[in-house]
Amino acid sequence: MTSRELLALAAVCVPALAAALVALAPRRLVTPLALAAAVPTAVPALALSVSILRAPDDPSVGDWLVVDAAGGLLVAVVAVVGLASVVASPAYLASSGASLVSAARREKTYFGALYAFWAVLLAVPLAGNLGAAWLLVEATTAASALLVGFSGKPRALEAGWKYLILTSLGLGVALLGIVLLAAGVPGGGLGALSWRALTTYSGDGALVAYLLLLAGLAAKIGWAPVHNWLPDAHSEAPPPVSALLSAALLPAVLLVAWRSEQSLAPVIGERTAQTVLIAFGLVSLAVAVPFLWRSLAWKRLLAYSSLEHMGVIALGIGFASPLALAGVAVHIAAHAVAKALGFYAATPLVVHEPRAAGHAVTGIARTRPALGATMGVSLGALSGLPPSPLFASEVLIVAGGFQAGRPWAAAATALLLALGFLGLAHNLLETTAGKARRREPQAPGLRTLTAIAGVSIVLLLALAAAAVWLPGTDVVDALVRGAV
Amino acid sequence: MSGALAWTLVGLGLSVIVVRRRSIAVALVTTQALVLVGLALHDATTGEDFVAAGALGARAVALAALFLLLVARTRESRPVRARVSPLLRAGVAVGFALTLTWLVPVIGLTSRDAERAVLALVAFGVATVATRRATLFQILGIVLVENALALSALELPGGASLAIELGVAFDLMLVALVAAVFHERIFAEFGAGDTAALRTLRD
Repeated sequence: MTSRELLALAAVCVPALAAALVALAPRRLVTPLALAAAVPTAVPALALSVSILRAPDDPSVGDWLVVDAAGGLLVAVVAVVGLASVVASPAYLASSGASLVSAARREKTYFGALYAFWAVLLAVPLAGNLGAAWLLVEATTAASALLVGFSGKPRALEAGWKYLILTSLGLGVALLGIVLLAAGVPGGGLGALSWRALTTYSGDGALVAYLLLLAGLAAKIGWAPVHNWLPDAHSEAPPPVSALLSAALLPAVLLVAWRSEQSLAPVIGERTAQTVLIAFGLVSLAVAVPFLWRSLAWKRLLAYSSLEHMGVIALGIGFASPLALAGVAVHIAAHAVAKALGFYAATPLVVHEPRAAGHAVTGIARTRPALGATMGVSLGALSGLPPSPLFASEVLIVAGGFQAGRPWAAAATALLLALGFLGLAHNLLETTAGKARRREPQAPGLRTLTAIAGVSIVLLLALAAAAVWLPGTDVVDALVRGAV
Repeated sequence: MSGALAWTLVGLGLSVIVVRRRSIAVALVTTQALVLVGLALHDATTGEDFVAAGALGARAVALAALFLLLVARTRESRPVRARVSPLLRAGVAVGFALTLTWLVPVIGLTSRDAERAVLALVAFGVATVATRRATLFQILGIVLVENALALSALELPGGASLAIELGVAFDLMLVALVAAVFHERIFAEFGAGDTAALRTLRD
């Protein structure tokens, strides 16, 4: 077994073991144990990520495991967001008494499901074949649905139920596409579904299979028009879980769609395969933008921003030019940092201003400057306000569209992004500096949030610098080649 | 695979869309899964095939037990009424199945009957989720789709991977268990397993 394979095994097994330990531990030890296991979980994943990003020309590709540049990037994102979500969870649990399970099992269920979700999320980018990737994506549904409905409130039950049913049904459709592919690849069995073997598909139904696969995965990624569960689940889940859903789950499943496109492009035609992704991207952007102009509850606004950003990433991988893929790499990482920070801010926000759970809030910086500043950093970065790395990544993706010979799609992207920016900029001003109301003095977890915000600002600035350095590097070459 | 067997599976799937009682729907879906187990055992030639058939059987029995337990624990004074009448539901489902059969070209399974049955059952599963309000029926819609996919795995030339088949069965059990937790909580909160109560989140 190579060192990379060992690190990959550790990256998945450590959080799985932590989930089991947390579930078995005495109640008083659950939270300390969960916090103690967070760093040991993140370290092997980050080490794996560093090992591949330092040598992107040398991916490990097998039937079960693939460690390449795109996978390395996603593993790093999942590791960082998972770590921050565990650290942010005690404040949520302390401020929210309601739960789907009895009080005695509340922490155990929460952290057990959170670690199980984290473990499966770390495995998704490393899956060496489409069948295994599907199984892992389906497994994320069970753990995360339980977390979405964790508060047990009627609205959370509604969101969790919608999420469970719609994504399970979507993944059923995706599995039908996988069966079609398995029937057309010589050899049969598990090897037929490896990313490399899919390029040898010889049946008649490749395009139908690809469309079924992408339509099914779209339901999980939250691409319009099959995104109905996304705003509900993101807004009703506990904030640390919302962060994992938006910043880690959506791009991890998107990577499966990306790998599928790269594997099937030689069979159905590169242009056709990419056009499907561009269509999903443009529709998602067009559906998201009007909601970014509205005054929505904080987490709901962030959810529609997720729809917008998943659309932008789809456009980037659809354009598939070196500039666009450099933009995609920065966009995935920067979106994760900024979006997770925004969701973590929801925990103190809802205590400080209880109406925030269901309504838009204004003037938070006037009553709680640290909280308002954190929300401002998150929303400013997500809107693409310079020097946000998301500004640089969006410029790269639009430029990449022109580079790929897709001027109309690139122009439409630029227009929709500009409209989205204006909507979010308006919300940014209102949320932070608008008219303030009388509010509760408390804002629990603000110290933890401030620490996470400090780290996030450093990461965002580093990513803004990376956006300048990344185009033309070996990492981008590796992203263009993919794992096939 | 014989045409009669394919029609039996399709007939059982269509019945799930029209019946009123949850226990009858559970029995129909379970019978369908057990027919698939019989088919798997009939065609089994290797040890892996027998293990896959055993997993399918265990999944069918475990899901039946779970769903019947749910029915017993969440007794309803009267069945949750669907949004549309049984005849219209059946019409929508059959229309969707015919459209899907027309849209999707040859899949590459061992018989055309099996391909049509797979597509029809996927359509019936989606139609069940879309037209039935009862939470348990929506879970059964997903199981219908999974039964269709189990049939397609059985009819793949060269067979499907055992690891993937076991994984699919395990994932479905996990999803069903989580759905069961939600069903019970929704029943406790609203007094019925009715998704009509779950329509407050809108923009």
